[in-house]
Amino acid sequence: MSGPLAAALVCLGLAVVTVQRRLLAVALVTAQALLLVGLSARQGLDARDALAASALAARALALAAFLSVLVTRTRDPRPVRAGVPPLTRAALAAGLAVTLVWLVPAMGLRSRGAEQAVLALVAFGLVLATTHRATVFQVLGVIMIENGLALAALELPGSSALVETGVALDLVLIALVAGAFHTRIFAAFGAGDTRALRSLRD
Amino acid sequence: MTERDVLALVTLAAPALTGVFCGVLPRGWVRAGARTGALLTGGSAALLAGTVLADPAHPQVGRWLVLDAAGGLLLAVIAFVGLVSVLVSPAYLDGMTGRSPGSTKGRWRERSYFAVLHAFWAVLLAVPLVGNLGGAWLLVEATTAASALLVGFSGRPTALEAGWKYLVLTTAGLGIALLGIVVLAAGVPGGGIGALDWQALTHYAGGKDTALVAYLLVLVGLAAKIGWAPVHNWLPDAHSEAPAPVSALLSAALLPTVLLVAWRCEQGLTPAVGVHTARTVLVIFGLTSVAVAVPFLARSLPWKRLLAYSSLEHMGVIALGLAFATPLALAGVVVHIVGHAVAKTLGFCAVTPLLAHDRGTARTPVSGLARSRPGLAAVLALALGSLAGLPPSPLFVSELLIIAGGFQAGRAPVAIAATAALALAFVCMVRSLLETVLGESGPTPPERLNPPDRPRLPGMRGVGVLATGSLTALLALAGVAAWLPGSALVHALGKGLS
Repeated sequence: MSGPLAAALVCLGLAVVTVQRRLLAVALVTAQALLLVGLSARQGLDARDALAASALAARALALAAFLSVLVTRTRDPRPVRAGVPPLTRAALAAGLAVTLVWLVPAMGLRSRGAEQAVLALVAFGLVLATTHRATVFQVLGVIMIENGLALAALELPGSSALVETGVALDLVLIALVAGAFHTRIFAAFGAGDTRALRSLRD
Repeated sequence: MTERDVLALVTLAAPALTGVFCGVLPRGWVRAGARTGALLTGGSAALLAGTVLADPAHPQVGRWLVLDAAGGLLLAVIAFVGLVSVLVSPAYLDGMTGRSPGSTKGRWRERSYFAVLHAFWAVLLAVPLVGNLGGAWLLVEATTAASALLVGFSGRPTALEAGWKYLVLTTAGLGIALLGIVVLAAGVPGGGIGALDWQALTHYAGGKDTALVAYLLVLVGLAAKIGWAPVHNWLPDAHSEAPAPVSALLSAALLPTVLLVAWRCEQGLTPAVGVHTARTVLVIFGLTSVAVAVPFLARSLPWKRLLAYSSLEHMGVIALGLAFATPLALAGVVVHIVGHAVAKTLGFCAVTPLLAHDRGTARTPVSGLARSRPGLAAVLALALGSLAGLPPSPLFVSELLIIAGGFQAGRAPVAIAATAALALAFVCMVRSLLETVLGESGPTPPERLNPPDRPRLPGMRGVGVLATGSLTALLALAGVAAWLPGSALVHALGKGLS
């Protein structure tokens, strides 16, 4: 994988961590997924690789369409503010990414740059899911983690189209379920805000 | 195809097809269809488990399908819990739609409930049979999608909260596990996630440091799904807010099934990581889970929440048994998994009619039940006493075996610490038992549990049958526990898939 491509994936990830608008975040995560599709298509040598690339593309487009519809149909009366300011989120994300890169030894992917990009996307996804209060952003955090893992799968020396396709389908399924929950949370509380979900404590 | 292959196919296809049929069957046939499918699924799974457990020394190990002793044991557990859950579910649904039994919403809810429940059961049954770590991850992730829908099924704000927490936390955890799997995939012969069958893990050649990082990532990720402390936050909420029959399936079947995946990883990666290191990780999760459960068990909690924290404790005990891995400890693990499944299923399902009758009892601790409903009090006492490890409960025997296994494995300090934590948990659970059955007063007064102008709780005859069967099974299990340490089953478990 080329350095600029890895840098583009990481920059898109960092941008998602800092933005506030849900539709913009969906667009950025989709752009990230489409870059992965491009990488997969460029590597594609046989029918199995083509199947995996098709699954990635279908996943990216299906999630983009689904999340866009979800966001436009559930407009929050006021923007749901994250619990942490954008620059602090970016600093947390970068700090976690650097820590992971420092802690995790060589994974055996095709390039160290790809390994660092994978770890950075996983770190960004975790920070996104934990620092944002909007339900849609938490789902985008999970999707970003999976984007990082899709990159890792693409950079593995061997491949299994069956498993990679399965992972893509699983993620779509999880996103659909998360979408159903978001809609019901919106209907029950009037906003897709996880601050309302704090009544269960011991 | 062998006879076992056919049985495996029927076992997985029956609940999946039943789920589909429940969505399209005529209105009056849904419950009958669900029951018929459940009986077929339970029967074929029990038969398959029986054939595997009858000859544990000769597992069938393929790249995608594994039929071994550990898988057979979990298959039997999932079959039993799933069957009881389906059979008890009408009592839950009647309570939920009681005010509008024939409404369109009520009928749609019933269809969707049974369809998703059977889909969840089908995926769960596939987990112990799958022969590949990547495949196991896919199935575990799929259980999250199905079971999250069931957790939030009632649509109450608290159920939505529990379902959302469960979905996000376990999916993020499984993402971490998948990162570990990808790291492993780079270091096995053949490469790729598809090459990660259980035996291939033993040939991992990516270096000890990388293997350790991958092992930690996989176990920490799976811990979020198993409900091991400190990544257990979703567990008490999901188990208390899900429909009671689903709570039984989550607690008694899902948690130990994902634990099996973690154990298979531990067994496969032990050559690369080292025996002591691999098992120490299990010890840490086990001890932490038991210790974290104790202060919560000491509180007066609503019934299902109490059982949820008991799940945290018991998953910790099983982790300790797998970490000790001596014949004594593994015999304890077998008894513990089965005994926990029977007692926990009884605990969740027996309370279904009461919760359907009075939803307020889901929010407050049950107290002094013996004065208002002596029959139900006896059943709940049986469930809680068994889970507490009150002799002659098989869980008392299993905990003794696991502790003895700890000393046998040369981990005396861990065994002593576990004994202390389990003793505290025992005291807390017995206190809860006494409060539930004989408590003087509490937030749930006897008049509310059994108001004079209301008839008897519907479904109590079924609870009586379940309690009688559970008592028989628990006593039988306690009886055979002493013979297990030298058995072919325990020998096969210790050998694993190597």
